[in-house]
Amino acid sequence: MNIESVLFVGVGGDGIITASNVVAEAFMLAGLDVKKSEIHGMSQRGGSVSASVRFGEKVYSPTDKLGTVKFMLATEKIEALRWIKYLNRDSVVVVNDRIVPIINQTIDESSIDESMKTVDTKVFIQRNFLDDAKKLGNIKIANTVMLGVLSKLIPVEEKFFIKAIENIVPEKIRGINLKAFEYGKGIE
Amino acid sequence: MKLIKKIVSGNEAIAIGAYKGNAKFASGYPGTPSSEILDYFKEYDGVQAQWASNEKAGYEAALGASFAGVRSFATMKHVGLNVAADPLMTSAYTGINAGCVIVCADDPGMHSSQNEQDNRYYAKFAKIPLIEPSDSFEAIGFMQYAFIVSERFDLPVLFRSTTRISHSLGIVQYDPRTLDNEKELKLDKNFRKYVMIPSNAIIKHKDLLEKLDKLKQFSNETPINIIEPGKSNVGIITNGISYNYAKEIMPDAHFFKVGFSYPMPIEKIKNFAKELNRVIVIEELEPYMEEELKVAGLKVEGKKYFPQDGEFNLDIVEEGLHKAGFIKKDKSSVVFEDIELPKRPPALCPGCPHRPIFDILHSHRNVYITGDIGCYTLGSLPPLSAMHTTICMGASLSVGIGASKVEKNEKVVSVIGDSTFFHTGIQSLVDAYVNKADMTMIILDNRVTAMTGGQPDPSSGTNLFNETFTPVNIAKLAKAIGIERVFEVDQYDYEATKKILDREIETPGLSVIVALRPCVLMPKKIKDTPLVVTDKCIGCKRCLRIACPSIDFKNNAAIIDESTCTGCEVCLKVCPVEGAIVIKEGKQI
Repeated sequence: MNIESVLFVGVGGDGIITASNVVAEAFMLAGLDVKKSEIHGMSQRGGSVSASVRFGEKVYSPTDKLGTVKFMLATEKIEALRWIKYLNRDSVVVVNDRIVPIINQTIDESSIDESMKTVDTKVFIQRNFLDDAKKLGNIKIANTVMLGVLSKLIPVEEKFFIKAIENIVPEKIRGINLKAFEYGKGIE
Repeated sequence: MKLIKKIVSGNEAIAIGAYKGNAKFASGYPGTPSSEILDYFKEYDGVQAQWASNEKAGYEAALGASFAGVRSFATMKHVGLNVAADPLMTSAYTGINAGCVIVCADDPGMHSSQNEQDNRYYAKFAKIPLIEPSDSFEAIGFMQYAFIVSERFDLPVLFRSTTRISHSLGIVQYDPRTLDNEKELKLDKNFRKYVMIPSNAIIKHKDLLEKLDKLKQFSNETPINIIEPGKSNVGIITNGISYNYAKEIMPDAHFFKVGFSYPMPIEKIKNFAKELNRVIVIEELEPYMEEELKVAGLKVEGKKYFPQDGEFNLDIVEEGLHKAGFIKKDKSSVVFEDIELPKRPPALCPGCPHRPIFDILHSHRNVYITGDIGCYTLGSLPPLSAMHTTICMGASLSVGIGASKVEKNEKVVSVIGDSTFFHTGIQSLVDAYVNKADMTMIILDNRVTAMTGGQPDPSSGTNLFNETFTPVNIAKLAKAIGIERVFEVDQYDYEATKKILDREIETPGLSVIVALRPCVLMPKKIKDTPLVVTDKCIGCKRCLRIACPSIDFKNNAAIIDESTCTGCEVCLKVCPVEGAIVIKEGKQI
């Protein structure tokens, strides 16, 4: 199998690192090779954050090549657009329908939405996952709902995702995350 | 013994490798991307680990443990090795007793650094072995190997990572048991070996040159300099993370993967290159290997096709290989073009106690603000825009001293954090006192090394092992030096802080202001009652000038995000309209 990739993009504090750790763990449990890159440091202070999980029989580079990312999970629309060059027509994009303000700048939300319409990938799911998370009782699990959606499209058995959540997510919030994952799977 | 299989970062792998290599002592100073290594290492049974005030002190402590017969290592970021360069150069003369490794993480691309110096040259400069892994899996094995090499040649070893290795994760599989030392060691007292007075050092320098000859041969024999035969008639010599990019782009080339890069394996590379039409060197940053090979008479190419600055990635390596004529570029799949988007720079957290200081400094016209390294460097960005220099750790105070001596029109104000102050600021505080500098020094004492993830420092009252101590009191320290005008402020008391800052900036002579409000994130996020904007807001945007991520502006009025507001009230204090920003009633968090 070729090397494929899940690119996680968002804003510092969105939970990008944990979400990407879960996916990396799932690939390992499924017997695949995995490499993951993430950026620490200044990004801890509310800047753009990204993490890339690459999987296949043998993975060398931990980062992606332009136009080759198969799956994108974006927790914010501006950040989704920032990484658009990495996608191609066959990509699968799951994006949280939200804009996080930027200090000292006025964002033209309608132009962001216009740009989002140009992202005509094979699968494009834009939805307010925070609403879903609120419905489940915890806004912090929006990412896990998104993972549930994505899991149906990634060629790895569901049981590995569930085991990965059990391995990575702290016990206190494991139950609600498993519930969020199930809920995400049910979203069409 | 059952093997452990898991996904770990390069930094965790380095800690695992150190433990498996029987290291029992480690010391360092936090710096992205090296900061997490000691946190992982300290969790192992029977080890000791500590944060030092700076990298020089950290490496010297590791040396001391080595002299006392225990395998040890020091961790730091690339620029930290500049600070530790003094002991580094002479420890190459003394050599070591038990294995001693300097783990140093470079930051190509400057993800979180002030420069992107290539520290491989330090190995050549000091004449010590240089080992470079390509990923987490190799980091475990190479780290153990580094201790063996160190003891075999009686030299400290430089172990170089980069951001993309330290902060990338990969699958590792390892036996959790530790290696035994090759021989039993104890504290070594040896005047000729460890006392570098000239008469001894002259002999030790000759010794070092002899060791270097042996190392040159060893580099040709070590199994971490590997030839991977390919199918084409071209060869690639590469190291570290670059290997992964090149291997993925051009798997059919002949590869020479350099894991032991000083001294370079010249004879082995000559043999490798003999049968090949062309050989290129792919290395991030400086043409270090390329130069070594060219001096040895090899016909290699490298920087002709690849940039000498920034971080590499698959696209850059592909472009270089294309330029070199090694591959035809895959004209494929880039179908989406970049869209012009607002940048999202990092910012001081909501509730950050640095914010009021920079807001107050911003209101002063005739000040020259010398800054330093930490979260508070963000005070240089608009709209706070209250910092005019940032060079290196500790430079705020000393650059300020020099400027204050010659500048007649502007008052010099220097701004430094507690951890940076303990790192290399104290000396300049003494200098300012002795040399009668006319300046105001602001020490932002938030009790933690915040930028790198919240490591404890002398002001925290706890150390890496969670042992407690009475925190070092910076105001008392300044007074003990002899400085008279020393003041403590709580930045959340905006008016009182402003009064003291304004007064001291106007007062001639040296003054020290210690700002005492702790970091809003450490040890745990502080959150009080959030604030809200009422319909009295006139849309003047004064509150936007404090650059708080919780404040946005919509429909001609400010708006506060209650979910992230910490209730620090700085926006309320700067708001010119009474009652436009208020504490949210009945909402306690």
